[in-house]
Amino acid sequence: MSETLTHIGREHLDDLALGAVFLATGGGGDPYVPKLITAEAIKTFGPVQLLPPQDLADDAFIVPVGSVGAPTVSLELLPSVEEAAETLNAFEKFVGRKIDAVTSFEIGGGNSVIPICAAAAKGLPIVDGDGMGRALPEAQMMSYPIGGVKPTPALAYDYAGNIATFQTDTTETYERHIRAFSMSAGGMITAAEHAMTGRQLKDTIIPGTVSFSVKLGRLLREKRGQAPELEKPLAALFADSIYGECRLLYTGKVIDKTTRIIGGYDIGEATIESFESSQENLSVNIKNEYLLAKQGDRVCASVPDLITIVDFETGTPINAERLRYGQRVAVFATACPDFYRSETALKVVAPRCFGFDIDYVPLEKLRSASRLKA
Amino acid sequence: MRIGIDVGGTHTDAVILNGDKVIAATKSLTTSDVVSGISNALDEILLSGGVRVEQIQTVMIGTTQFTNAIIERKSLSRMAVIRVGLPSGRGMPPMVDWPHDMHEAINAQVHMIHGGYLYDGHPLSDLRESEITAVIRALKMENIKNIAISSAFSPMNAEPENKVSQAILEAIPDAQLTLSHQFGRLGLLERENAAIMNTSLLPFAKHVVDAFLAALKSHGLTCPAFISQNDGTLMSSEFVRRFPALTFSSGPTNSLRGAYKLTGLKEAIVVDIGGTTSDIGVLQDGFPRESNVVVNIGGIRTNFRMPDILAIGLGGGSHVSDDGKTIGPQSVGHRLVHDGLVFGGNTLTATDIIVASGVRDIGVPAKVAGLTSNLIEKATDTMHAMLDRAIDMMKPGGKALPVILVGGGAVLVTGDLKAASKLYRPENAGVANAIGAAIAQVGGESERMLSYRNISREDAIAEVTAAATERALAAGADRETIRAVDIEETAIPYMDEGATRVRVKVIGELRT
Repeated sequence: MSETLTHIGREHLDDLALGAVFLATGGGGDPYVPKLITAEAIKTFGPVQLLPPQDLADDAFIVPVGSVGAPTVSLELLPSVEEAAETLNAFEKFVGRKIDAVTSFEIGGGNSVIPICAAAAKGLPIVDGDGMGRALPEAQMMSYPIGGVKPTPALAYDYAGNIATFQTDTTETYERHIRAFSMSAGGMITAAEHAMTGRQLKDTIIPGTVSFSVKLGRLLREKRGQAPELEKPLAALFADSIYGECRLLYTGKVIDKTTRIIGGYDIGEATIESFESSQENLSVNIKNEYLLAKQGDRVCASVPDLITIVDFETGTPINAERLRYGQRVAVFATACPDFYRSETALKVVAPRCFGFDIDYVPLEKLRSASRLKA
Repeated sequence: MRIGIDVGGTHTDAVILNGDKVIAATKSLTTSDVVSGISNALDEILLSGGVRVEQIQTVMIGTTQFTNAIIERKSLSRMAVIRVGLPSGRGMPPMVDWPHDMHEAINAQVHMIHGGYLYDGHPLSDLRESEITAVIRALKMENIKNIAISSAFSPMNAEPENKVSQAILEAIPDAQLTLSHQFGRLGLLERENAAIMNTSLLPFAKHVVDAFLAALKSHGLTCPAFISQNDGTLMSSEFVRRFPALTFSSGPTNSLRGAYKLTGLKEAIVVDIGGTTSDIGVLQDGFPRESNVVVNIGGIRTNFRMPDILAIGLGGGSHVSDDGKTIGPQSVGHRLVHDGLVFGGNTLTATDIIVASGVRDIGVPAKVAGLTSNLIEKATDTMHAMLDRAIDMMKPGGKALPVILVGGGAVLVTGDLKAASKLYRPENAGVANAIGAAIAQVGGESERMLSYRNISREDAIAEVTAAATERALAAGADRETIRAVDIEETAIPYMDEGATRVRVKVIGELRT
């Protein structure tokens, strides 16, 4: 598994998308439709060159591109191949500058593949990396703005080819404006934003996550089977990456799940009861993503570390919207990339930013849940 | 009295029920023409039950023939599919992710035209007369009569599908159409896939239904006949001619429903032990708990509801290791009657262990007299532990539920199951599927995406329930007995507060 990936072809998309659902920590939407459209784009235009960030010139011009909106909408309002590429064409025209490479907002979910679709149709390379290393709900939580990249000039392109451009000071304002546009344009749009130089990219990107997601997906596919069997291979794969420790937190059955929408987000909580009756239940708080896992008051893992829930039988990651009463699951926790543990990053991604009244404690310093017997 | 028939891949089972009582039951091999197998089964139960055909009020049939037609790519017809949704989805035509051999099997003419709606009720694009005219010309050119139509957000607004359908019927009056909104669920590709599979099965469905009715008629059975669907409810035979795809995976559902009928237990775990696997499902309020994963049928993604089944490799034919600690998943399967020790073969199977333990008398018990008591005890423990573990994983919440054992392999369970509050071994457990078919009710389901900003929650649920009720009535339900059995509300992230997907399922007794 140590060979270097230089291109993304159709043969990589299944693994990439599967790995991306694991890294999406319950959010990011089902990448199935984005994967199909990307496969069609690669079929027509050929494989996409995958560039390590360090290979970019400091003065290169790089643009993150992806979908913004409600993943549920794209179950009906299907994307089209040219939408992503036309977004880039319109963006070049708007800023009067040629793009050298595209990159991803977030590796978690559908936006892991949309930039590849755009890059294929536009004949550009894609950078191996992304702006989150996972999925998170808001644009200001991306590593690019955390590292000082400005959100605008930005451009959004809808299913019918309507265009909106944005000029805002902060990413928080931009986030509000583009959400409003997305909702009035059918619920799902493609955006080009947080454009930056090669230098800025190297300083802010979470590197290597595209090729890592392919490896992760391959592992999940090849080792498909009961979740506890996955623990060792997953731990080994993550240990040798920009992430770190990955541990099996818990195995059990979903005995309760509540969700409601607050401020546009799917807020809820799932309760998982252990297969071993001696263990206390695990609760998982959801705000689009799985953000906090607790036994009683004891925190077992929290954002920005990754919490992933998989099907117990197959190890297939389960999106929060598909998590249901009665499902048999395993919960994994993975240390986030160091970038997200810096003071600057924690200002926007610590548990308190999501309304949880706790300080962030890195996963490695927390006692493992599965070893606790009540 | 009613007759239930289950036409499986291997066996055709039939029962006569008088109220709750099983009067006659038979298990026979499925014949290659299917119909003569049904005929034989009918002969046998009518004779052994001493029942006159006039006493039979209804016949219910469960069949895997339509599922098998899709999986085996046979008996499928040439057709066309029209998707209304441009400019969205350009470059991603219908069936884009279908297996190659399935494309060849149905050889569909594909059209994409403008139209459809957005989530908020605004038009995605207007329908274009010129595009519809061109589609009709192409259909006529190749003389295509079987047509599937899909459109974006049609579960919320079916007008585009209906308009295109009307235009086609005016030009081609004998066209057979499937409109994707008739399959209800959100998820354009999955709904469209269901409509396409359904359309390609239409001529075969006519053939199958005609054959079923002919077999019944030849026995003098002129009462109404129904066919069971994947959710444990029934369709009239006329309805099946239009919606054969709704029969997919009715087998496991009928087994669970049959177990319910045999015991009267509404909340229970059902363990169906066959030759190779034990299939464990859950009854909730007398119906199977549904799975929430995407279901592939013959390599095609669909959003049909299927029962949540956990299959483990333990059956009557499962291999047993020499120390008794490992059982399955390898199995001699239907070769048990040749390969098992008690049948004179050379493979130590789960069945041999049970015979050796002396609790069951199958085959020639002398052949297993040499097995040590240590091995017998260990292997018996292993089997029970496997089932206990699986039942624990399936049971909802912490409380132990009663467990109902059905299927030919139920003899493997000789002791208690720790995970069960009580163990039931109903009589006639071997024909649970046919019983499940015989007792099926009539259901209907509908799903919409709504905003609680524009409509009150109460009105929204009432509106979706009304749509589901219409479906149940069309399928043959008695209006007076219809009730909602499942209401599911899913809030949609990133949309305006109150945007919710509402799904309602209703069931009712059969209209007689």
